[in-house]
Amino acid sequence: MDSLRIEATSCSPLIDFDPAAGLLRIEGESYPENSFDFYAPVFGWLEEYLKAPAPAVVLDIGLSYLNTSSIKCMIDVLEMLDGAHQNGQTVSVRWHYDRDNDRALDMAEEFAEDVSLPFEILAH
Amino acid sequence: MKGNELFNLQELLSRQKLLICFSGPFSHSVIEELGKAVRNHLENERIEKSAIMDVFSVYVEQAQNVRNYTASRETLGRPIPANSGIVVIGKDGDHYVVSSGNLVEADDVPGLSAMLEKLRGLDKAGLKAVYKEQSRKPREPGASGAGLGLIDMARKATRPLEYSLRAVDDAYFFFSLEVQL
Repeated sequence: MDSLRIEATSCSPLIDFDPAAGLLRIEGESYPENSFDFYAPVFGWLEEYLKAPAPAVVLDIGLSYLNTSSIKCMIDVLEMLDGAHQNGQTVSVRWHYDRDNDRALDMAEEFAEDVSLPFEILAH
Repeated sequence: MKGNELFNLQELLSRQKLLICFSGPFSHSVIEELGKAVRNHLENERIEKSAIMDVFSVYVEQAQNVRNYTASRETLGRPIPANSGIVVIGKDGDHYVVSSGNLVEADDVPGLSAMLEKLRGLDKAGLKAVYKEQSRKPREPGASGAGLGLIDMARKATRPLEYSLRAVDDAYFFFSLEVQL
């Protein structure tokens, strides 16, 4: 399967998914003009990838700000991964945040509440 | 605009201790550029990062709500006349206040005021429960938002959301929203 790479802009994050390594990175800020359009290729790629993923998959998220429509998209991404986890695949999340930004920590904790997969929150 | 009108407008704006005021057609690039200006200004004020992000995120939600609503009416073939919204960020004592105003169709008024009244009656725990419930709903096809914006603003606000709905004519109301942080 091909890797997925979408370069960051000032209002949309870097998407860098490496299928062989099982490393999925999302980094930056997310408040694009239309979040659902922006994340559509991400959903499409993940749906295909999770049928036969790498032995271990890690989603590395470093999102310092998301608008509410991006939050909804991220919930949907996490649900897809959580589904794979519940099917016995090895999937985990590492959420990186800036320790000066309490809001980013609150947000990470809320995302973690709704999923059962291993979810690490790391301060930088 | 005549010189004395401009003077009166500027005086009104400065009395409100406004950081930023924008009125006109909202595009994504306008929203983004104003957002950057707001952040730069707040960073120079040396306030906490979390407070900067609260002001910025409430501004983005309000501006995107205005733009998305206007765009959705265009898609439906019912463009809003005098296509101009307004967004304002000011300071009231120690609190930043983010406000916006735009025309909404009369048919949308009952739903909008019911939603706002419901949010105004909820405490932090109640708002979180409504937020979680909404965030788990499947996305509506064609919708540009997730229906989370108002709930998120109510959660960030330090007092209940203030709003008004004033009839402009038979078809439209002017909706204003004020969020104190």
